[in-house]
Amino acid sequence: MTDLAYMSIADAAQLLRDKKLSPVEYARALIARIESHDKMINAFLRFTPEIALEDARRAEAEILRGAWRGPFHGVPYGLKDIVDYAGLPTTAHSKILRDNVATADAVVAQKLRAAGAVFMGKMSTHEFAIGGPSFDLPWPPARNPWNRDHFCGGSSSGSGAATAAGFLPAAIGTDTGGSVRNPASMCGIVGMKPTYGLVSRRGVLPLAFSLDHVGALTRTVRDNALMLDLIAGHDPLDPGSANRATGGYTALLGRGVKGVRIGVIRHFYTRDIHADAEMAAGIEAAVRQLADLGAEVREIETAPLETYAACNRTIMMSEAFAVHEKWMRECPQDYGTLARERLMGGAFIRAADYVNATRVRRKMAADFHAHFRDIDVAVTASSMDPACRIDDAKAVESTYPRQARAPFNVTGSPALSMPAGFSKTGLPLALQIVGAPFTEALVYRVAHAYEQATTWTHRHPALE
Amino acid sequence: MAEDPLTLDQVRTMAEEIGMTRLSDEHLQQLLRATKAARARRAVLPFADLTPADEPAHVLVLAREDRA
Repeated sequence: MTDLAYMSIADAAQLLRDKKLSPVEYARALIARIESHDKMINAFLRFTPEIALEDARRAEAEILRGAWRGPFHGVPYGLKDIVDYAGLPTTAHSKILRDNVATADAVVAQKLRAAGAVFMGKMSTHEFAIGGPSFDLPWPPARNPWNRDHFCGGSSSGSGAATAAGFLPAAIGTDTGGSVRNPASMCGIVGMKPTYGLVSRRGVLPLAFSLDHVGALTRTVRDNALMLDLIAGHDPLDPGSANRATGGYTALLGRGVKGVRIGVIRHFYTRDIHADAEMAAGIEAAVRQLADLGAEVREIETAPLETYAACNRTIMMSEAFAVHEKWMRECPQDYGTLARERLMGGAFIRAADYVNATRVRRKMAADFHAHFRDIDVAVTASSMDPACRIDDAKAVESTYPRQARAPFNVTGSPALSMPAGFSKTGLPLALQIVGAPFTEALVYRVAHAYEQATTWTHRHPALE
Repeated sequence: MAEDPLTLDQVRTMAEEIGMTRLSDEHLQQLLRATKAARARRAVLPFADLTPADEPAHVLVLAREDRA
């Protein structure tokens, strides 16, 4: 049987349904791997093998009596620790919330529970999804499985590290300025930030209401599409939820890219910011590969990265400070250094500047989406550099502006990061594919065609 | 870009006015840096290009407003 640590959800689902793989055997294999290796990676903030085995036993009993619930039945997963799981603390990796026990599941957790998935635990994050990697918090930061001296990205750090390390086939993350796609890029896996409003945020601790997205990190494109099939859907109790039909995200996989119109946003990584040479070469090679597969490739221009970034940060800091003002008054000393300084940035943004940033945002979104009259998807960089050392605070800080993810939180567009090769030092390179709103199936189609034409997702880090 | 003239004493007063009275000197230095950075970002945004009719994105409802 294929190594269970790196088995895809699609393959595992087939074996589980056919009763050729026991959910309990699957969970035990991953539990053993986590127990052996996570002390080096710190992907889990709270590891829950007892819950996992209980879920796995229940799944096994149901499948044996013929009540298979679908592709996640018996499949292990983890939740970023800003996502509520009833009965467990949602700490946001912060001393401030270490006793904040959730009374109900977040909507995404409800959906995974209803699908019969196996809960393995809560994953490390940056404090309040913004301050990290930090060494002054109650729990250590997650590390990169490809080289544990390196940053694994964030803020969905543990979700990315665990998925890349073969601890889990999928984990839930959140993305306000790139926090699903950053760990996906750094860890060589697939991370999708869906269209704003596609996945309910109810039960997820907010960072910035109008920029927050829930998404999944997986090792393959198909697995990511399967996860989105499960977690997408209208939620009338989430004020930002889109009221429209969802699903069918695997429908276009395998159709290739012949005739698909791809717009390359090259100025993001060659002019606005000069990407690392290996990263830029990896993206260009991917663009050529897509052209060789039959895509029609052209270059497009949009607003400069700096403008998107300023818009994203002005809105993010304003909304985040509204959430944190009470704690900043009462217990500023309980934040880690990084979260405190980043969150303080919203304290004195003028009301008019916040409103104007949202006005600029609407124009930028409309201008960007107008490109989709002439293209089907856009391709650009995700990160500008491979993962830096985690102990190099200056280099880590520079990763926040040196990225092209925040534009698509501003526009709300679906945006997927996926592997595009490896640096000479063995660290993952990444590519970002962006679609018009609610065209996730098309984004997955293009990503899948590229994935199938390369071998990047077949490589895994050596943890021994 | 000219150096933001905001001072530590000013930011301390501003913090006290909104009830942030428990900040240490180190915290105030952080607040000063963060506030200067936020003001610098404002200078990048094209607010001058907005017309009176440009509405905010109250909540980004893409299906109705922004789909090309």
